[in-house]
Amino acid sequence: MVDFTKYTLDNGLKVIVHPDASTPIGTVNLLYNVGAKHENPERTGFAHLFEHLMFEGSVHIPSYDTPLQKAGGENNAFTSNDITNYYLTLPVENLETGFWLESDRMLGLNLTEEKIRVQKNVVIEEFNQRYRNQPYGDAMMLLREMAYKVHPYQWSTIGKDISHIEGATGEEVRAFFYRHYAPNNAILTVVGNIEPEKVKEMANRWFGPIPSREIAQKDIPREPVQEEARSREVTRDVPHNVIYKAYHMNDHNHPDYIPADLISDLLANGNSARLYQNLVKGKKMFSNLDAHITGDVDEGLLLISGTLTPNTGMKQGEEALLEELARLKNEPVDEQELQKVKNKVEAVHTYTKTSALHKALNLSYFELLGDANRINTEDQAYQKVTPADVQRVSQKVLDENNCSTLYYYAKAQ
Amino acid sequence: MTMENPERTQQPAIQTISSIHIARAQQHTLSNGLPVYAIESGTEDIVKVDLLFRAGNWFQPKPLVAEATCEMLSEGSQNYTSRQIAAQMDYYGAFLRTAANKDVANVSLLTLKKYLSPTLQVLADVVKKPTFPQQELITYLNNKKQHYQLEYTKVNTLSKVHFNEALFGSHHPYGRILQLEDHDQVGRDDLGDFHQKHYTADQCALLVTGKIDESVFQSLEEQLGGEDWKGSGNTIQTPDFRPFTTTETEVFTPKPDAVQSALRIGKVLFNKRHPDFPGLQVVNTILGGYFGSRLMKKIREEKGYTYGIFSVLVPMVNEGYLTIASEVGANVCRKAIDAIYEEIKKLREEKVGQPELTMVRNYMMGQLLRAFDGPLPTASTYMSLMEMNLDEDYYQRVVYTVNNITPEDIRELANKYLNEQEMVRSVAGKCE
Repeated sequence: MVDFTKYTLDNGLKVIVHPDASTPIGTVNLLYNVGAKHENPERTGFAHLFEHLMFEGSVHIPSYDTPLQKAGGENNAFTSNDITNYYLTLPVENLETGFWLESDRMLGLNLTEEKIRVQKNVVIEEFNQRYRNQPYGDAMMLLREMAYKVHPYQWSTIGKDISHIEGATGEEVRAFFYRHYAPNNAILTVVGNIEPEKVKEMANRWFGPIPSREIAQKDIPREPVQEEARSREVTRDVPHNVIYKAYHMNDHNHPDYIPADLISDLLANGNSARLYQNLVKGKKMFSNLDAHITGDVDEGLLLISGTLTPNTGMKQGEEALLEELARLKNEPVDEQELQKVKNKVEAVHTYTKTSALHKALNLSYFELLGDANRINTEDQAYQKVTPADVQRVSQKVLDENNCSTLYYYAKAQ
Repeated sequence: MTMENPERTQQPAIQTISSIHIARAQQHTLSNGLPVYAIESGTEDIVKVDLLFRAGNWFQPKPLVAEATCEMLSEGSQNYTSRQIAAQMDYYGAFLRTAANKDVANVSLLTLKKYLSPTLQVLADVVKKPTFPQQELITYLNNKKQHYQLEYTKVNTLSKVHFNEALFGSHHPYGRILQLEDHDQVGRDDLGDFHQKHYTADQCALLVTGKIDESVFQSLEEQLGGEDWKGSGNTIQTPDFRPFTTTETEVFTPKPDAVQSALRIGKVLFNKRHPDFPGLQVVNTILGGYFGSRLMKKIREEKGYTYGIFSVLVPMVNEGYLTIASEVGANVCRKAIDAIYEEIKKLREEKVGQPELTMVRNYMMGQLLRAFDGPLPTASTYMSLMEMNLDEDYYQRVVYTVNNITPEDIRELANKYLNEQEMVRSVAGKCE
C-alpha cells in the first residue's frame, strides 16, 4: 500500500506526498501535461527541445545543475508524446533545494539565443545518434506516420523532420513555455522520509506565488477507425529482415486497455510467452520477437516486431505470426496461462515499489490519468480480466484491417 | 490572493553529507561450505539471490565458452526442460538471469518472498545439473550470431571492441575481439567441461538481499547447501595474461555512411584494489563522471558536438582502465578529440577550484547514498565488491578520500596517470 496525501494549491498546482521512511533519499517529480501531441504540426519536436532548454538556467538561478550537485543531487527528464517529466533525487535533508530549483524554472526561464543554438545542436546530435546512426532507427517513425492519419501521435517526440528544430526561433520557444508551463498544468510529487505538513509548507512557499497561466487548449483530433490494412516496404543497409506490426488499441482509461496489455504479455513477456516458445524456439523462424503496448494516454498502439532467421521469408514469417494471433482470437486462453501474466504484473509492481523514484513517477502518471490511487488498485484491475475479455479484445485489436505493417528488408549484400 | 515571493536568488541552506550508513553483510556458511552473505534491505517482501562464479572469459579455453555456458544454464537441466524453466519462472513472476563477463559469471534470481522456495528449486537445478541440450544450443548460437551481426554494424560497438583490443592486445581476454566464426566452434562438450570445472560450491559465493528471515536461510540450505554439490577439490589455476598496448595513437575503423563517429580515448590503469583508485575516481568524476562534468560542459553544453560524453574508470578483476566515450557529429570529430585532450591537459596543469571540488564531493556522497538505497542497488553494489574480493571497508576508504582529497592531490594524480601522450584512441565511423 502506497500511502499518500494529495491537495491542490490556489494556483492549480497538484501536489502529492508519499512519506517513505525506508530511504535516505528524497525524490521530487514534476510532471507537465505537455508532450509531442500538443505541438503545432509545422513545429514538431518542440516539447523535447524544451526539455533540454529547461536546464539552461531560470529567472534567478543561472545554472540548474550546479546547486543541485552541490546538494548531493542528481536529476533527469524525459519527453513522451503525452508529457514532459522532470525528476530529481537528493539527500532528504536538502529537499528544499529541489523546491527552489523546480519552482524557479516554472516561474520563468533565462534563455539566450546562444543557449538555444547550442541545445538545437545537441538535439540534432541526439536525433543522429538515436534515429539516423542506428540500424532500424527510423522504423518507429515510419510506423507512426502509417498508423496515424490525423492524431498527432503520427510524429515521434524528436519531431517529424529535424528541420523543424533547425528552424526554431527564440520567440517561438518562449511562446511555447508560457502556453504550456504553468502550475495549473503540472503535478508535483514528493517521496521521502519527511512529514507531509513540511512538504505542504515548502510547496506553498516556493510554488504558491507562481500565478496560474492560460493554457493553450488544443483540441486533439481523434484518430478515425482504420478500415483497411496498411503496409509499407523499405530496404536499408541493415543485417536482417524485420517485420513490424502496429495495431490500434484503446486509450489508457478505457476498460479494454488492461486486457490489451495482458495480450502483449501473453505474446511476448518472458521466455515462456507464446511467440518466443512457438516461433523462436519451436519453428525457429525468428531470432527474436517482441510485443508491447505504447502505453499512451490517448488511443495508442500494440506493437509486434520480429527479426527473421536467414532462411525464413518475410511473408512466411508473417503467416506464422498471424496464426499465433488467430489462436488468441479463436480459442479462449487457458486460466493458468492468464494467471501467469497476471502474477508477473503483480510481482513487477512489487519490485518497482522498492524504488522511491518509480513510486513518484507512477503516482504522478496515475494522477494525470485521473486518480493517483490507481497505484494501489491497478493490480486488482489486472486480476479481474477474464479469458473472455482477452478473446474479445484480441478479436477487436488484432485485426489486419486495424493494422499497419512495415516490411523492413535488408539490402542484399 | 497573491503570495509573497521567497528569496529566490540564494540556494536554501544545505547539509553536507559526510558519512553514509553502510549495512554490513551477515556471513553464514551452508553445510557444504558455500559462503552466504546476507543483507536485510527495503520494505517490500522480495528476495534477490546472486551467485558469483569465477567463470568469465579469463578462464575459458576458447572464445564464447564462458558466455555460452552461463547463458545456456537455463536451457535445460536434469529435472526441467528449457520450456519448464521459463514457465515456472514466469508463473511466479520471478526473474532468473544468467550472464558472464570478462571475469565472472553471475546467476541471479529476483522473486517475491512467498515464491522463493519453488523458484530457488529451479535455480539450484540449473546451476548444479544443467544438461546443455544440443537442439537448444543450436538455436541459441544461431540467434546469438544474428545478434552479433546487428551489434557489429553499430559505430559504438566497433569503437569499443577496437579500443579494448588496442589497450590489451588480441591475445588477452580483455582485448580479443569476438568473431562471427567463433559461434561455429562451440560444442556441447565445451560447455559441459567448463561447467564441471567452474560451477562448483567451493568456487561460488552467494549474496542474498531483501526481506530475510530464518525461512530464507532454510531454503538456501535445502537447495544449495547439500552434500551433492561441493567442489572438485582441485585448485583452479588462474591463467596469467599481460596487457600489450598498441604503440599507435589512434585505431580507426571506417564506416563511410556514418553520420556520427564513436570515440573512445583512454589507457590501462588499475582496479579498485589499488590505493590510488578512490582518488582517481574523484579526478575522473571532475573530468567526465557526471552530468556537470567538464567534458559534458565543454563538448555538449558549450560546443553542441554531441548528445552525451562520459568518462569512466572500468575496474576489472585483474586490471583497470580509463575510457572516455562519446558519439559525435562526423563533421566535428577532430575538433571534439582536440577539445577532449585540452580538458585532460587542464586537469594536469591547473588546480581545481574549491567550489567545483565541493560540488563534486557532495555529488559523490549523494551517489554513495544511492548505491545503498534499497535492495536492488545494494545487491549490485555488493556484487561488485565481491567480484573484486573487497569488503565494505572499501567504501569507508572512498568516503574518507572524497572528504579529504585536496586540489593538489587531484593535480598530482592527473599528472601521474592522465598524460595525453600515453592515451590510445579508437574512432569508428567517419572523421571529416
